[in-house]
Amino acid sequence: MMQNDTPQITPATPLHELVLRLMNDTAPGQAFFRWFGKTRGSLQLRRWRSSLQTIPWTPLQRPIAEATVALVTTGGVHLHADSPFDVQNDASFRRIPRAATAADLCITHDKYDRRDATEDINLVFPLQRLRELETEGIIGRVAELHYGFGYVRNLDDLLAQAREVGRRLKQARVDLALLVPA
Amino acid sequence: MGLLAREIEACGVTTVGLALVQELAVAVKAPRLLFLHWPFGHALGEPGKVNQQRTILRELFSLARVAPYPGLVLELPYRWKRQTYPPVVDWTTESEAFTQALARALATEKAPL
Repeated sequence: MMQNDTPQITPATPLHELVLRLMNDTAPGQAFFRWFGKTRGSLQLRRWRSSLQTIPWTPLQRPIAEATVALVTTGGVHLHADSPFDVQNDASFRRIPRAATAADLCITHDKYDRRDATEDINLVFPLQRLRELETEGIIGRVAELHYGFGYVRNLDDLLAQAREVGRRLKQARVDLALLVPA
Repeated sequence: MGLLAREIEACGVTTVGLALVQELAVAVKAPRLLFLHWPFGHALGEPGKVNQQRTILRELFSLARVAPYPGLVLELPYRWKRQTYPPVVDWTTESEAFTQALARALATEKAPL
C-alpha cells in the first residue's frame, strides 16, 4: 500500500508505543490490557451508576436497506486537516465527511496499538465498508457526516458533546448510528 | 462509548455498538451492544479481512433490527485469529451465531427476575 493511501497517526513516545505493542501482541498482554481498561472504566463509571438505571430506547424506524447509517468512533479518528485530540482527556468531537478516504484521516489516541488500524482504518472506522454496502443496496444511505471522538478521562465533559452529536444526527435524519470503540 | 450511545439514542436515533470489555459493556447500560473478546483497536477484526469486517457489520444490523428491549449485551463467539469468515450472503436474517448469542443474553437477563 502506498504511503499516501494510509491514515496518519499523531505519534506517541517510542517507549509508550513499545508498551502498547507488547500489550497487543501477546495473550497475557491482551489480558492485562483488558483488565486495565476494565478497572479504569469501572472507576470512571462508578459515580454514574444511579443515573444509568433507565436506558434510552429508539426502535429502528425503517428496514436496514432503507436506513441512513452514520458512524461514531472513539478510536481517535479525525481529518488530518482538523486539530488533533488532546490524548490525555478530550471530550470534543470531529466531523468526518462521507467521502473521506484513509489518506484524509489521522488517528490521535495513545491507549491502543494503532499499527493495524493504520493499515486498515476500517478496524476502528468502517466508512469504506459502509460505502460498499450502500453501493450494494444493503443499507439505504451512508450519512453525509460521521463523528470521531478521542480518549475521554472526565466523563462529565462527554455528556454535552454526545448530546450535541445526537442532535446533529437526528437533524440529519440518520436512522442508525454504529458506535465503534478504540 | 456506551455513554455516547445512551445520549444519541435519547435524541431519537437508534444506536448499536461494539464493546471489547464485557464488564464495562454490561455496567454502562447502553441500548444495544455486541461484545467481542478481541484486542483494543480491532473492533471490526483484522486489517484487510473484508469478510470478517462485513460479518461484524451484519451482526450489528441484526441487533439494531431485533433487540426486543434496551440494555442487551450479546457476546459473539468469534475467536480472535482462529476463525474463518465466509462471505456474507444474507443481510436480512440473523446468523446462527447471532441467534444463539441472543438466546443466551435473553436467558441470563431473565434469570434474576
